[in-house]
Amino acid sequence: MGETTNLNPVLLIAVPLGLAFLIPLLGLISKKIAKWFPVIGFLFNFILTLLILPHSLKQPIIVKIAGFAPPFGINLVAGPVGMLMAILIALTGLLVAIYALKYISEGAQQKYHILFLLLLTGATGVVLTGDIFNLFVFFEILCISSYALVAYLGNRAGLESAVKYLIQGSIGSSLLLIGIGLLYGQFGTLNMADLAKQIIDYTEPSVFVPMVLMITGLGIEAAIFPLNAWLPDAHSSAPSSVSAVLSGIAIEVGLYAVVRVLFTICHVSNFLMFFLFLGVLTLLVGEMSAFKQTNIKRMLAYSSIGQIGLIVFAFSISTQFGLAGGFFQMISHTLGKALLFLSAGFMIYRTGSMEISSFGGIGKKMPLTALLFTIGALSIIGLPPFVGFSSKFLIIKAALTEGKLLYTILIGIVLLGTVIEGIYFLRVIQTIYYKEENIAIAKKESPVFGLIPMFIFAMLIIVIGVYPNFITKVLNPAASELLNSIEYIRSVLG
Amino acid sequence: MSFLHNYIYYIGAFGLVFIGLFIMAVKRNYIKIIIGLSILEAGVNLFLISVGYIANGTAPIFSRTVLNAENMVDPVPQALVLTAIVIGLAVMGLALSLAIGLYRHFGTLNLREIKEQRW
Repeated sequence: MGETTNLNPVLLIAVPLGLAFLIPLLGLISKKIAKWFPVIGFLFNFILTLLILPHSLKQPIIVKIAGFAPPFGINLVAGPVGMLMAILIALTGLLVAIYALKYISEGAQQKYHILFLLLLTGATGVVLTGDIFNLFVFFEILCISSYALVAYLGNRAGLESAVKYLIQGSIGSSLLLIGIGLLYGQFGTLNMADLAKQIIDYTEPSVFVPMVLMITGLGIEAAIFPLNAWLPDAHSSAPSSVSAVLSGIAIEVGLYAVVRVLFTICHVSNFLMFFLFLGVLTLLVGEMSAFKQTNIKRMLAYSSIGQIGLIVFAFSISTQFGLAGGFFQMISHTLGKALLFLSAGFMIYRTGSMEISSFGGIGKKMPLTALLFTIGALSIIGLPPFVGFSSKFLIIKAALTEGKLLYTILIGIVLLGTVIEGIYFLRVIQTIYYKEENIAIAKKESPVFGLIPMFIFAMLIIVIGVYPNFITKVLNPAASELLNSIEYIRSVLG
Repeated sequence: MSFLHNYIYYIGAFGLVFIGLFIMAVKRNYIKIIIGLSILEAGVNLFLISVGYIANGTAPIFSRTVLNAENMVDPVPQALVLTAIVIGLAVMGLALSLAIGLYRHFGTLNLREIKEQRW
């Protein structure tokens, strides 16, 4: 049963949602007040998630919405996986909201902050819910807010990217809904734990079609290989704070949903060989495409695809180490990629161009920003003492302890991808520090409100990289929650 | 013939889904693609409703004369479809506003010609 505490995980979803609807009302009083709402909302969320986390590690907190008990009512499951993702979402939301105080200075600013709150509300809802249609609803909130935020600047690139993203994303959502309908028609329930319980005893193989439909639909948002055509355009045309959140949160929440469907509901263990190869293929396609880019944001977007491939590979090694490695890589990708997009944002703003060649000599003009960009890049490549090293090390350890030749070969290919990553990131760092400048810009650092979140990301990257122990205390329960779906069923249904 | 009689709603729903997918994949004009999206969503909603259909069932509303739940169709898919229709409305509104912006910037709605972002 759930533990009764005063800290209700419903507030994690309700408070940002309420603030999002409050912005237009309070915006009538003052135009400038809208940009503080995301900061307040995610500060509250971050503190609340840290307070709930110890309780949720002992026993997943089950919140019965409106008092109806599962399987008839909708319930939230704030277990280790959910709270880990919720902390990540709240932290990233808070820091990017502080960054956006200075970065978003033109255009319809109020609408930006409303959409930003809604995007992260949707993300928090996806990770905390225990009901599959509720997953669809929050997933749609996430997706629609991200379509609108990609088009926020209203320029040619943004509109084209948003149109393509919208078309592909809505096909994905319809496929997801068909899959949910098929599951409901077969089993008569929408509750994840109840579905899991019925599928364990189910002998016929007709769970395959709904599962494939749902994974394809969710995989479009998660950017797994054949479904990721929208990502380079969308992440490079959005404003940089939006790119940070899209790359750091939205695709990872999509991947969380895929993993939740695979492990908890459908109990697969033989379909995972397919995902193993798909992960490595995604990694290679992402890294090799990033290698030939000259536009910095497009390069970072392709690098996100590569990292998602790595996370899929880690999740397909369905052991304790593999899943823990996958979640750890999610954390390190969010921290690193958000830092890269935020610092690139101000560098682009200062030089006026997104081409890497125009960043020459910027290491002397904006030293702190360039240093933070370097820290992010080295973390993504996976060099010690940054968190990227610890997470990749955990994944390699997970693959090698399996002992099979296949995993060893695939890890070799993964490391080849890391070498390619190293090449293109180090190329950018070389341009920043050692090339002479093309465009004359003044020696002026980024604004303070932009530097503070970047510093905090960099501090977290270094601290978690050096002392990963207090993260592994959360990763291991998270991994075992996914592997051990019987425990999940028992904690929800009693 | 009996197969057709039993499964007509599913056949119709999946037919709409495939027509919608075909339109979205093949057509060049953005407005036609939006129409295809609308047809796709109509097909999905029809599929969801027909999952809950029970033969000879009435509407799942308790009133003073109808108090037994055995003759009613399943109300849960109807709630799902209401939500899905509203979500489809939001996506459609966003898609159409993007169409306005697209035409203003590019002068055409032919998506094959709007290809500024390349590899």
